[in-house]
Amino acid sequence: MSAFLDARALPKDTVLTPDLAIIGGGPAGISLALALADSGLNILLLESGGMTFAPPTQGLYQGSETGVSYVPLESGRLRYLGGSTNHWGGWCRPLDEIDFESRDWVPHSGWPFARKEIEPYFARAQELVEAGPWVYDAADGAASDSGPVLKLGEGGVYTSWFQFSKTKNGILPTHFGERYQNELKRAAHVTTLLNANVTGIRLSHDGGQVDHLDVATLSGNRFTVKPRHAVLAAGAIECARILLASNDVMKAGVGNGNDLVGRFFADHPIPRNVATLVLFDGRCAPFYSNFLTLPNGAVMRAGLSPRAQFLRSHGVVGSLTTIENEVKLDPFATASVETTAEALGVDASRARAFSLGCGMELLPDPERRLTLSGERDALGMPRLNLAMTITDDDFARFRLTLAELGRQLLAAKTGMIHLSYSTRAEWLKAMDWGNHHLGTTRMHDDPKRGVVDADSKVHGVGNLYVAGSSVFPTYGSSNPTMNLVALTLRLGDHLKKVMA
Amino acid sequence: MRRRGVLGGLVVAAVVAAGGAAWRLHLFGPHYPATPYDDLLNQIADRVPARVFGGAALKTMPGANAAGLARALRGQGTLAALAESDPAKDRVTEVSGWVVPESVVRYAALAALV
Repeated sequence: MSAFLDARALPKDTVLTPDLAIIGGGPAGISLALALADSGLNILLLESGGMTFAPPTQGLYQGSETGVSYVPLESGRLRYLGGSTNHWGGWCRPLDEIDFESRDWVPHSGWPFARKEIEPYFARAQELVEAGPWVYDAADGAASDSGPVLKLGEGGVYTSWFQFSKTKNGILPTHFGERYQNELKRAAHVTTLLNANVTGIRLSHDGGQVDHLDVATLSGNRFTVKPRHAVLAAGAIECARILLASNDVMKAGVGNGNDLVGRFFADHPIPRNVATLVLFDGRCAPFYSNFLTLPNGAVMRAGLSPRAQFLRSHGVVGSLTTIENEVKLDPFATASVETTAEALGVDASRARAFSLGCGMELLPDPERRLTLSGERDALGMPRLNLAMTITDDDFARFRLTLAELGRQLLAAKTGMIHLSYSTRAEWLKAMDWGNHHLGTTRMHDDPKRGVVDADSKVHGVGNLYVAGSSVFPTYGSSNPTMNLVALTLRLGDHLKKVMA
Repeated sequence: MRRRGVLGGLVVAAVVAAGGAAWRLHLFGPHYPATPYDDLLNQIADRVPARVFGGAALKTMPGANAAGLARALRGQGTLAALAESDPAKDRVTEVSGWVVPESVVRYAALAALV
């Protein structure tokens, strides 16, 4: 059977028996369904929403928060086909090799495999997110017609490159639901069930297998799915909620025998105007603050990233610093620039200043966690509470990278920077978030340290997997979508083998 | 005609010589009262911004005084050489958020103190 069906129209107490149930129709769920479309497996893609935004469905995401101010849980993600790709910015960049390493200066760090394990899937992931030919850090030469990269002294920061998802002939990033609905409809063995909310994963009595899924609609329909295998692909917040709320056999929740589900939640903090960059000659290539389309069609933007060697030598983690808007300098700033430029023997009469933005990687923190609250949603599911944290150490480590950038600018006599924030209060006042939900079902070979194993299978449950950025044990500073799609394609290959 | 040409040449030469002397004696540039530290401060053409910046730098240098700063700076090389080499040697510091070479901070602080 291949179709888009509306769960609200299914006969009550229907029992569906696909080979594979995919819970969630976001980038991970859709990528997995497409990857397995020709496998011969009967696939059921369960999507909570429909084809467009609907407030009652979106309201199922509501939750509470404590700790550091964070985006409301119903705001940073979208609950209809395509998931949060319906509002993503399209930024793409592969995780770096060091992001996968266990590092002694990053507690709880390390993936169970190296980057080379997902590299074979990057090309297809890049196609799915429609980010054009793979260029990334090879762009320096290709972009030279538009201007030079910033001249920096030898050191820890370099010009890095992002690519952008762009729908064919369009300007918006790829919205997976809209973009791939026809492929899903054409897939002979894929059924997409809209308005279908999984409210519970019911295990066999011994807890070792998924027996069935409880599914409900906001119209009051309830039915059952009994899959051979199930993949939870509902985003890092909802994956944790479904696992924690499925607590009839395993009292702490499915996969939560070691109290890890919902812990290590992460996002990329993007505090605004973290620094001011002054370029003595006033020249800044446009690709630092705007899109650059290369002749091969790749849409690029340059940022400034720390090198792996600098991360090691200075005990910092990943970040991306971006050049944003031109700003005016106050009299003290002007005096600082004039004094420094004169000492360096540089003419600063044409100097221009720019605000800097950023995306920071957070240190993994088990106390930054999602737990069930006493509230329930319209389907009777427990809502979540997020205890959000960000430490002074997170800010301090990123600040070291900014200071290094400043040192390199001086060493090259290119310019200088002013660091905007030094106190926690200042950082928090400028805080915004990337809405890149990560880490709540982290991957580790050891069940005591991870919810899923290296194959993304939930430890202790034979036929349950998790796809998406919730499995990232450390996060990197790259935007997660293209990476989570690559990781999901790897899971697809694994499922083809184990389900054959 | 020849006499006129000679006179004109003399006038030009006189103007050039006067300009050179003025430049040499800093007659047209910023003028500052003499200090015991002019061997250092004369390397800063415009001390006004340096004093502004140095004033902020002094807040991070409790107990700093002109004699001590001058002692530390003399014999270390020119301001230009130090400002150039400091970043490569990781000798940068922060003043009110600005990342700057350490020697620039010391020179600016000295300018602010005199």
